[in-house]
Amino acid sequence: MAAYHVVLVHFPIALWMTATLAILWRAVSDGALAKAIDRALVPLLTIGLLSGIAAFAVGLMVWPWETVSSTPMGRNHMLLASWTIAYWALLLVTRWLQGEAVWDGMMRWVMAGLAILGSVLLGITGTLGGHLVGIYTQVSDALRPLGWEVYTTFYVPTFTLAAIGVVAVLLIGLGVWASKERHAKVGSYSAS
Amino acid sequence: MRRNGLFITIALALFIGVLGLSWLTHGTGIVHNDPVRHIAIPNPLTMPLQVKAAYTDQDIFVRYRWPSPRPGIHHDILRYQGGKWVVQGEPVPGSEPNGLAEDRVAMMLDDGGVPEFARYGGYITIGDGITSFSQSADSKAVRAHPDFGQRLKQTEVSKYLPATRKVIGDWSALASEADLAAQRNAGYFLDLWHWRAHRSNPLNISDDQHVAAARFSDAGRSPYATNWNNDAKQPRVMMDQAKVGRKALRWDDIVQGKLGFGDVYFLRADQTVPFDPNAGWAEGDTLPRRILTPADASRGDIAVSGEGRWKDGYWDVTLRRKLDTGHPQDDKILHDQGAYQVAFSVHRNAQQERWHYVSLPFSLGLNRPADIVAPKFAGAAPDWQQPWTEVTLFYPGQVSWPHLNSAKHGGADSIKKGVPVKYRHTEAQLAHYGVEAEFADAIRRQWLLTMLAGVLLIAGFGIALNLLLSRKQGV
Repeated sequence: MAAYHVVLVHFPIALWMTATLAILWRAVSDGALAKAIDRALVPLLTIGLLSGIAAFAVGLMVWPWETVSSTPMGRNHMLLASWTIAYWALLLVTRWLQGEAVWDGMMRWVMAGLAILGSVLLGITGTLGGHLVGIYTQVSDALRPLGWEVYTTFYVPTFTLAAIGVVAVLLIGLGVWASKERHAKVGSYSAS
Repeated sequence: MRRNGLFITIALALFIGVLGLSWLTHGTGIVHNDPVRHIAIPNPLTMPLQVKAAYTDQDIFVRYRWPSPRPGIHHDILRYQGGKWVVQGEPVPGSEPNGLAEDRVAMMLDDGGVPEFARYGGYITIGDGITSFSQSADSKAVRAHPDFGQRLKQTEVSKYLPATRKVIGDWSALASEADLAAQRNAGYFLDLWHWRAHRSNPLNISDDQHVAAARFSDAGRSPYATNWNNDAKQPRVMMDQAKVGRKALRWDDIVQGKLGFGDVYFLRADQTVPFDPNAGWAEGDTLPRRILTPADASRGDIAVSGEGRWKDGYWDVTLRRKLDTGHPQDDKILHDQGAYQVAFSVHRNAQQERWHYVSLPFSLGLNRPADIVAPKFAGAAPDWQQPWTEVTLFYPGQVSWPHLNSAKHGGADSIKKGVPVKYRHTEAQLAHYGVEAEFADAIRRQWLLTMLAGVLLIAGFGIALNLLLSRKQGV
């Protein structure tokens, strides 16, 4: 299955990198072309996500679970791949649900930042996949001085796991609270 | 709207903050020294070794140079303490706290009789149940084994070659005696040159061993014996004051590194007298636990050329051996224009057993192209004009040959196909893998939780972002 995985990963890589360029362009431009490209963003991200999930699923069949979960590079590749998919799903959902509002005010810069981060995740995922098939790049060397030796498994200690859990709950709580507050304001405006 | 912008900023700060925390803390919390599980991780994980070789019509010379912060010239000792002689310097995980473990350099050598050795080096010798791993074979079971313990006189599972077992993951599944003998005749063994700073260097020799069904010593007298009379519970010999100028060493001199190459810090048999319990022993008197006697026969084939010395932070040791020792069942016989495979290891920092640095396999050519080219010369000693071959040694951790051939190793298929380890892994990479192998289960669990936590965080951020934006109800 390795060969099929290698073929399939080209699709999400190409689509998400294109999406990154589209987002960056739209973030810096309100021109007609930027808006036209933005209209293609949801289909682009949708196909990117579907092809990403397909590549991930086929990737899971390259090695047995016992192998991939026992190999540092296999673990890292899978971890980054799952985060990449989740991340680009976030971007898709956000653009889909919020429409052109994502380009209002500071949100356009948030979108640009998220797109860049998504591309970084994608690039590292691809690099680690290359290592697994014996094709190396200098990306690993760049990560080392930044604090990650890619030949060691990326994991965080338990207290950081707890912090992530707390922050995830806080984020959801913040969103729910702000949403309720907004509903209440809308209700009070309607009543007045 | 301004308030919403504040909420988005807070959400972003939380998201980025916890990402930063993850980045700063990743890789911590699991890997640590654990003497109970026989885990002690050296720092650094890699070290350099320089090698040169040269040969004449009769002899081969191999020169090794490697850094060591201090010369580990002592080994285990007997210390007079509280009216009794106490053994100190027993093997421990990692460095012996008093520095009582000798420095060593070893070289495994093959002529093609062990084909996997050229591709995977010493990894092939690390089998199931090997001693000093977190899970090693029970010594009682080893001693009781009818072939391995009784006939081959083994007390622990040491290095062995894969085909000496009928089952790859079972140290006790020894091939039949006839098959082992046939393997030996076919050259299925590795020659092992084993220089020891205490147990061989003072005699200007190297120990000569080989690896087959176990790590065996070559035939002949051992260069060292144990200085202990078990019946009398006292040392067998002490220093001959008339020859050495003292009857024993002093503990403080040893641990403070006050003894050097100009001192007699060892017990050479011809410089000893029978132990006298009434010699007026004082607290802190210390005798080496090893009595040194020149090895003979096949075990005495390898000599130190010149002197093995530590100077300015480096050991410089040259070993010399006949190309043809006349012992083809113990040694690999070398030939002019021959091509061979070698792999090295170094013990330093008072570390013993598996706490050593090892190399990947290298080729050695006698006047023919190889990683290490030995030029031919005439004379008593080489001029050593050729450049060093730089070797990177690495801490191998607890990675066994059965593991490498199991479903837990992504490269097991590559091994089946004969892909050499050098093609896929660097020494630094293998060192990291070796450390991770010592915490495999704990790391796997934490990795899974980290992966799930990351997805949860991204989902949480996505939910927050969309609820905060919520264009339809936006005010």
